[in-house]
Amino acid sequence: MKKTNKILPDIKIAEAIIDNPFLVLLLERFNISLPVQDLNISDLCKSYGINETLFEAFVSMYNGNTSIPELKLNEHDALTIVHFLRVSHIYYSEQIYPEITELINRMNQLNDHKEMKLVSVFFKDYFREVTDHLDYENEVFHPYVIQLASQINNNEPSNIRDEYSVKQYKARHDDIEEKLNDLRNLLIKYLPVNQDQTVRRKLLFLLSELEFDLKIHSDIEELILIPFTLRMEKKVKQTEQ
Amino acid sequence: MRQIHIAISDESLVIREGLQSVFSRYQFIHRISHAPTLDALEKLLQRTTIQIVIINPYVIQSNQSQFLQLKNKNECIKWIGMLYSHFTSGMLAKLDGTIDIFDTGEAIAAKLLKWIESGSTENSLQSKEILTERETDVLKHLADGKSNKEIADKLNISINTVITHRKNISQKTGIKSVSGLTIYAVVQNLISLDNF
Repeated sequence: MKKTNKILPDIKIAEAIIDNPFLVLLLERFNISLPVQDLNISDLCKSYGINETLFEAFVSMYNGNTSIPELKLNEHDALTIVHFLRVSHIYYSEQIYPEITELINRMNQLNDHKEMKLVSVFFKDYFREVTDHLDYENEVFHPYVIQLASQINNNEPSNIRDEYSVKQYKARHDDIEEKLNDLRNLLIKYLPVNQDQTVRRKLLFLLSELEFDLKIHSDIEELILIPFTLRMEKKVKQTEQ
Repeated sequence: MRQIHIAISDESLVIREGLQSVFSRYQFIHRISHAPTLDALEKLLQRTTIQIVIINPYVIQSNQSQFLQLKNKNECIKWIGMLYSHFTSGMLAKLDGTIDIFDTGEAIAAKLLKWIESGSTENSLQSKEILTERETDVLKHLADGKSNKEIADKLNISINTVITHRKNISQKTGIKSVSGLTIYAVVQNLISLDNF
């Protein structure tokens, strides 16, 4: 698959998607649905009210670039990023995780090796950890970012809980892709196969897809949202003084 | 239990079919291939992975140098003599073990299991990734739910050494989490499922 590395405003979004179909997921999270006609990135961003720089940075991450320059973002962008992440959470918990669970169950039906039962338990535990992680972001971190953005936007006095800071979130932001990679290694290298070859292949495709998506998700948090929230925190504190 | 592939090398069809019929009772034997001659065996080993060769020492006797070459080239295979005649101890010493024609099915199965467990057949499947004895000890305790400190105390090594072993285990297996390594340990028969 050829991926467009340099993202320019006049690139047709349809061509970028043909090069990298994962961008359909990105569009969904910006509430953009197919078809996209012949729109270029600049036109698309204008018609949906999205910051072009932010959109291009995300496309670039989905195309495999990990070095993201510091972006000029405003409080409205904070809401866009949070919305993007929350729609991703729904995709994880309502679509891809249930699909993976179903494939693991099917693999268990086809392969009666005792070890396969452990895979079910492994994934169930992992899913619980991920759900905790997503719940924390949905219930604590994202509302905090939204509140900060709204205070800056409305120039309101701070009513942020003193004890909470993005630093706490940063400290507990763990690597949720690691266990997916473990599972892929087990399926590829070690777990005995029985009649489950086809289901195993489908499962591997889904796991790779999810791992790729989660890595970008976590990069968006680490490289864009956390630094931006730190800057907003600083701004709010300065206003108070 | 991992399933294994056995080759039977004996000119007699009756012996080959007879052994196949005995072996087919045991689930851990996944596949059985016939190779009446050393040439046929050589070809078979070139195209497939075999863990155990059951061979009539007569097959060896006619061409000992070819046999030794084959054995040296396939170090991970267990070479088992199928005895229904008398051979010199020198001839039998070239093999890893023997089955007697009067052995019961259970006795043969028990011997096969012993040979599988005795190590070198494991190597053929794990290739370069095999863990050292110490890494295996660390892994077993890890899978048992012990902390780095507990493992260090148990094995009389420092916590740093435990951490180094853990890094090496993850590098060799590609698995980082304790729960993933536990599944690896079960698959490799390092710990039993009864522990859960």
